[in-house]
Amino acid sequence: MDDNIVIKMSGLTKRYGYGDTASFALQDFDLTIKRGEFVMIMGPSGCGKTTLLNIIGLLDRATDGEYYLNGEDVSDISSARQARLRAKKIGFIFQDFNLIQNLTVIENVALPLVYVNRPRTVRLKAASNALKRFHLGEREYYHPSQLSGGQKQRVAIARAIVSDPEIILADEPTGNLDSRSSSIVMDELKAIHEEGNTIIMVTHNPALTVYATRVINMLDGQIATDVKTVSDYNLPQPINAKTKKHRRRKSHKGEK
Amino acid sequence: MALLFKTHLRLARASIRQNRTRSFLTCLGIAIGIASITLILSLTGSISSLIRHEATNIGSDLIVVRPTHSKDAVTSIVEELTSANSFEKSSLSLLDVSTISAVEGVTATAPIAISTNTLMNEENIVPSATVVGTTPEFHTIEPLTLKYGVFLNDKNSANAAVIGQQLALELYNSSNPVGRTLSFYGQRFIIVGVLDEIEESVNFDNVNFNKTLFINIETMENLMGYVQIQQINVRALNTSLLEPIAGNIATALKENRYGDTNFSVSYGDSISHPASSLLGIISGMLALVAGISLVVGGIGIMNIMLVSVSERTHEIGIRKAVGASARNILMQFMLEAFILSFLGSVLGLFLGYFLAFLVSLITPFSPYASWEIIVVTVLSTIIVGIVFGTYPALKAASKRPIDSLRHLQ
Repeated sequence: MDDNIVIKMSGLTKRYGYGDTASFALQDFDLTIKRGEFVMIMGPSGCGKTTLLNIIGLLDRATDGEYYLNGEDVSDISSARQARLRAKKIGFIFQDFNLIQNLTVIENVALPLVYVNRPRTVRLKAASNALKRFHLGEREYYHPSQLSGGQKQRVAIARAIVSDPEIILADEPTGNLDSRSSSIVMDELKAIHEEGNTIIMVTHNPALTVYATRVINMLDGQIATDVKTVSDYNLPQPINAKTKKHRRRKSHKGEK
Repeated sequence: MALLFKTHLRLARASIRQNRTRSFLTCLGIAIGIASITLILSLTGSISSLIRHEATNIGSDLIVVRPTHSKDAVTSIVEELTSANSFEKSSLSLLDVSTISAVEGVTATAPIAISTNTLMNEENIVPSATVVGTTPEFHTIEPLTLKYGVFLNDKNSANAAVIGQQLALELYNSSNPVGRTLSFYGQRFIIVGVLDEIEESVNFDNVNFNKTLFINIETMENLMGYVQIQQINVRALNTSLLEPIAGNIATALKENRYGDTNFSVSYGDSISHPASSLLGIISGMLALVAGISLVVGGIGIMNIMLVSVSERTHEIGIRKAVGASARNILMQFMLEAFILSFLGSVLGLFLGYFLAFLVSLITPFSPYASWEIIVVTVLSTIIVGIVFGTYPALKAASKRPIDSLRHLQ
């Protein structure tokens, strides 16, 4: 398999209910996403966007079909393995931020590192670096309730990238934000993408497609249109995971 | 794993702190259960240590023969509680006393025959006083000191009696009634001695000597027609010969009753076990009640943990989304339940000893600490934590991440 393929799905089906009441969120769905793509998924409500994102993020399982993540068949893995992959390979950004209210900002950002067994000092340091990057260094010990919507979403983005995941999944990250905060958040996502990260984002807002390298329109659980605005060849730094990590470490050192 | 454990510990601490009142009340439920168990264990421990203490005072060369009944446990418990067996004739007789005296290596033999009767003199009447029939050798076995007069001996008349300090005061309003008379079973007895006050009211004879009248056992038999021998205390020649002597006594007694063994011969530590199983029954029942309160406390923990799990469904969803496995979540909530029950048991241990201390102010039972009590407490904590923490934690762990994320805070 091509080294650069992060996600490969074929014949994916997600059915809710049985028999007469069965409805399909995804039907015979094929999708291949390469490293470095910034994919935007659009479509009307109920077309299966969020279901797709949940399946990609291993929060949900397809009823049928094949799903390869980084070349590993993950269609039938145990939920413990799912959790492990979520911790290591996937970063989530949600519409309603999903920060834990009674943890401080820095603890929220460090949360994914808890489940990959990093010592506390390492976790807090990584979280602190991630927060500085999003200009939230001074708000480390705030609680989420003390932040504005845009700040909360930046905290959530910091949390999504703190464990250096393979793919970042964003479910309408600007849906609850005003236009100013939206553009700040989108700029941050763009910056992350330019570092070679793969981002898959669900949105309702057509104006945001300018950030994407590929726009997929979904309808009734299937792909209606699939447009690449940047050729595979010109994707920002189509690098493999090893060099990506190497470069990331270097850039952290540069910041100090 | 250790790292994760530390993190979970910190999380549990934070969560318990956040709901201080709730956590405290939950702990209190456990604490009350543990406190009652501690109190009961401390009391029974202190009683048997008192008895053991007395037994060592007397000396380690003591053998005790007690009657046993060949009945099943339930019947004998019921009889203990209704004191029905006090109307049953003891399986030990005066013949046994003389048989034991004849066994080689036995230096002294003292039967204790108990009768509860009305005592009277010109001034007072004491209904239901304890009268012990024994032999003069009793004095050489029991470390009793006399305040006035002498103990029963071969030289005094058959109607001599020795009286306990408290009983003397009740009967004669005087602490020195030597030479005065009293009437028991229609017979006049003359007081020849008064015992010193004894502080330990609990002993392996199960008799409170302060409130007892001692008379000669043969006089007692002549008077009443029978004697109810509660136990026979035997002093052996040599501590190292206890086992063979006890064996010989058992064989001799068996011969007396054609092979029947309705008696027990004990020596060493086993003497100190209270002869009456009543103490065991009462403490067992109290422990049962305490156990029930512990279960109620455990249900309290389960309840609070279920509330906590449902309150934190959204948080569970977030944690799972960022990579927590079901096991991580399980561990987090188990640990929280465990800490609650641990805090409760520590609180309960202190509370229990405080209560034991209060009890010791009004009774002779001083608080008794032993590693057994600690072990029982710790074990019950672990069991409560596991039994009542598992269900809520499993419930938390089995939540599906997308459903939990949708759950509104």
